[in-house]
Amino acid sequence: MAQPIEKNPQPVIAVSDLAIAYETRTGDVRAVRDVSFEIFRGETMGLVGESGCGKSTVAYGLVNYLGRNGKIANGDILFQGKSMVGRSAEALRKLRGNQIGMVYQDPMTSLNPVMRVGEQMEEVLTVHQNMGKDAARQRCIAMLKRVYMPAPEQVMDRYPHQISGGQQQRVVIAMALLNNPALLIMDEPTTALDVTVEAAVLDLIADLRRDFDTAILFISHNLGVIARVCDKVGVMYAGELVETASVQEIFANPRHPYTQGLLRCIPRLGSDKSSSVLHPIPGRVPAPDQLPPGCVFEPRCQYAKDACRSAKPKLNPLSTNPAHRSRCIFAEEIDASAWLPPDLIAAPQNLHESKPATHAGPFLRVSDLKTHYRHGSNLLGLGKKEYVKAVDGVSFDLIRGKTLGIVGESGSGKSTLVKTIIGLEDVSGGSAEFVGFDISQRTGKRDLDLIKELQMVFQNPDATMNPSYSVGHQIERPLRRFNIVPKEQVRDEVIRLLRAVKLDEHYYDRLPRQLSGGEKQRIGIARAFAGRPDLVLADEPVSALDVSVQAAVLNLLMEIQSERGTTMIFIAHDLSVVRYLCDYIAVMYLGQIVEIGPAESIYNPPYHPYTESLLAAVPVPDPTVAHSNIRLEGSIPSPINPPSGCRFHTRCPRRNLLPNNGAICEQEVPPWHEVTAEHRVHCHIPLDQLREIESAVKAR
Amino acid sequence: MAIAKPLPRISIPRKPSRIGAAIGLVTRSRTALVGLAIVLFWVVVALFADDCLINPACWVGSKNYKSTPLLARYGWEESFRGEQMQDPSAKHWLGTDRQGRDLWARIAHGARIILVLAPASVLLAVLIGGALGLMAGYFGGWVDEAIMRLLDALLAFPQILLYLVILAALGPSAVNVVLAIVIAGTPGIARLVRSLTLDIKTRDYIAAAQTRGESAWYIMFVEILPNARGPILIDAMLRIGYAVFAIGTLGFLGLGLPPPSPDWGSIVNAGRKFIQAGHVGDAVFASLATASLVVGLNLMADGMQEELNRYR
Repeated sequence: MAQPIEKNPQPVIAVSDLAIAYETRTGDVRAVRDVSFEIFRGETMGLVGESGCGKSTVAYGLVNYLGRNGKIANGDILFQGKSMVGRSAEALRKLRGNQIGMVYQDPMTSLNPVMRVGEQMEEVLTVHQNMGKDAARQRCIAMLKRVYMPAPEQVMDRYPHQISGGQQQRVVIAMALLNNPALLIMDEPTTALDVTVEAAVLDLIADLRRDFDTAILFISHNLGVIARVCDKVGVMYAGELVETASVQEIFANPRHPYTQGLLRCIPRLGSDKSSSVLHPIPGRVPAPDQLPPGCVFEPRCQYAKDACRSAKPKLNPLSTNPAHRSRCIFAEEIDASAWLPPDLIAAPQNLHESKPATHAGPFLRVSDLKTHYRHGSNLLGLGKKEYVKAVDGVSFDLIRGKTLGIVGESGSGKSTLVKTIIGLEDVSGGSAEFVGFDISQRTGKRDLDLIKELQMVFQNPDATMNPSYSVGHQIERPLRRFNIVPKEQVRDEVIRLLRAVKLDEHYYDRLPRQLSGGEKQRIGIARAFAGRPDLVLADEPVSALDVSVQAAVLNLLMEIQSERGTTMIFIAHDLSVVRYLCDYIAVMYLGQIVEIGPAESIYNPPYHPYTESLLAAVPVPDPTVAHSNIRLEGSIPSPINPPSGCRFHTRCPRRNLLPNNGAICEQEVPPWHEVTAEHRVHCHIPLDQLREIESAVKAR
Repeated sequence: MAIAKPLPRISIPRKPSRIGAAIGLVTRSRTALVGLAIVLFWVVVALFADDCLINPACWVGSKNYKSTPLLARYGWEESFRGEQMQDPSAKHWLGTDRQGRDLWARIAHGARIILVLAPASVLLAVLIGGALGLMAGYFGGWVDEAIMRLLDALLAFPQILLYLVILAALGPSAVNVVLAIVIAGTPGIARLVRSLTLDIKTRDYIAAAQTRGESAWYIMFVEILPNARGPILIDAMLRIGYAVFAIGTLGFLGLGLPPPSPDWGSIVNAGRKFIQAGHVGDAVFASLATASLVVGLNLMADGMQEELNRYR
């Protein structure tokens, strides 16, 4: 992806001094200001930044889908040399013809649910290009093949809901490509997809750019994704481009404090908490109508001096590399490698100091745990009974004070496992013991003292708090319920907890709607820790947050955990986050654990082929890293009728290592190989052969 | 330990009170304001039709108390000899009926009846239907099946038929009118609350309450119900409108309050016979009164709905 591309003299799209404003009751608000960039044929430009920085607004501005109250307030957009600003909708449509394609985050918003995939695709050709029906169909099938769609003829006859999310996104991309557009705008095209599917779609995008010679504007909040597909990157902050450079430059030599901050927020795959720390960016993105007078990043910037507060800096080229531009008056001086964290975002201390075990027995022991849901039978129990085997025979022990990470694609049963342990689901088989107490019944039947010891942190910041009650009220409830402190001290304890999650006491009376996502998640953590539990189960607590906030919340979790010696189970689909936070990692596939062991040993061979595929799929925020080309086909099978033998055999990329192409995988349940006393792999392939597999991610 | 400082320039609005928020919901929308004005007009007329509200003798039920008309101008049973079936005039703003009673006085007192019965019956229906819907939605399974099938059976009857059957069986009286409206209204409210509950119970904060070991009643009434209050409130507002209409209909059919009670339906019914004789006042003005109150309530509900959606 790094080859220099021979540039045509004329860019496909050239944006200069673009400003986009929205009319509000209080006057025009400029959501995007002073944005200039150009994209040539065969080039991919990435736009990256936190949510609310105006990335999508730029994309919609290019095609003038700004809604009734939005307008281009300044600047010019030249598409293939012709200005697109100030023309009527009809003129615009003629001008750009079918030359601009768009792909959005959620494929289902682009597909009509009541039309067959084929009809929708053919329509693009028959309506816009007056192509005959048969010719159109042939072209569509060819295009579906081009986007590596398995069985394209059959897919043409299906409805969108009958194909998987990754396939839907492929259809949308294929539709966008049917008119052979000069410019393709992709707005977070892989954000809604699983990491394995995301990897395949990113491969596809890289291939297509090469073959179709299209210019692509690629918007993402994920620096790893950007590093994988883009040639050059624009970093956006609060509606302005603050830095642009080639992808290698941005990652190796960031010259704007915001870019540096973003890079410091994300855990690198392979780094753990004892070797590196995350440094969140304090504060949050200002609203477009509340911009600071000087540099937009000044309130959150550690380098800020008086000069930053008075004048707005320009996007100036660096003297050393004119292609690299930064909107910072100190761009030449700030060096990412010389950076020291200021007190405000000091990293948590003593993270790897674990409390000694207070008693001999295992802290949490889960053996052969099963959670099955009945499916497809009616009230009277008539009809065929089927069971969704969400968790099907999971066993592990967890030591006090340690963190177990659970990873796997969506649908692998991670959340159900955690919900079963905490008592939100009925146990269908096996047992679970917490310091010797049976916890295989629902919370309603547990003793209050036992309930208090197990608490949970949830994924969705918008649903974790009850919108009807104030922050203080919601943290108070567990304190009162579990009688943690005497009644008259409850308020003080709430304020202590608020301080522990780095919020001041003014938050006591706030309602959830007045908080940002990160703040809500902090309150959720404070609430979970209020009862002073021994075991905290965290279900993807940071996946819905922006990276800068994610770093803060991760650090916070680790700090509280190490202060209180709490044991934790942490679910995530992001393997770098899990590696950073956890002592042990369990990899789940279709309701079962396929590999479990200490965090550092999971990330290197020998590992389970599924672990390998997950690792290969993780987008690493480093353009110089080479990924192995292991890709998983299709999606996770139905947990109603899981595959026989090894459940992973239908998608396993390493079956060819076994004689007869792994016939045994279809027939026999694989054995547990013990790599070390703590590290086990559930696979037919002998350990020695697994050891020889090349590492999935390596520096080039 | 560093505390995250809120950024300057971002002002956090003060926590508004519950009542303040509800009032804001009405006053922000012009539609709702017009509706509120109409409804308030009838409320004021009902409250100050006579001096009962401001005369302590009336509150304690003193035998010496004799009501003095205020806004109504005359007593609702007071008949004027020789002034039967008059058209509107300065003395009788809306004319008089067959017995020579002032129509405005009767309509003003009728407002009192309707503004007590309609909200009371809807309130009762919301309490019962809300509780049933919460239980059906939260517990699910056979509880849901039992409650909802029972209520479906009630929904299967046309409403007017249900009213007729209930009142024919129990006899016409104010209490029975309320009862009929409660029975007919409960299933719809239960359906609404059940669907809201089904949605809200999947939120993480409900799971958080469950992991605290909270009782089902706590979760239903403290965690779920407050978050369903917006749609329930708007639905109730619309239902008060329907109830006004239903009470009018029952009065018209002679199944409402027994005569000489001045309820609006009875006035229309009594006036109906004289329309052909050229005296349309009774029927028209009482109908207009009913219509204006219903329209007012609907406008309020519409406006609030709009505001609530914008608010989300």
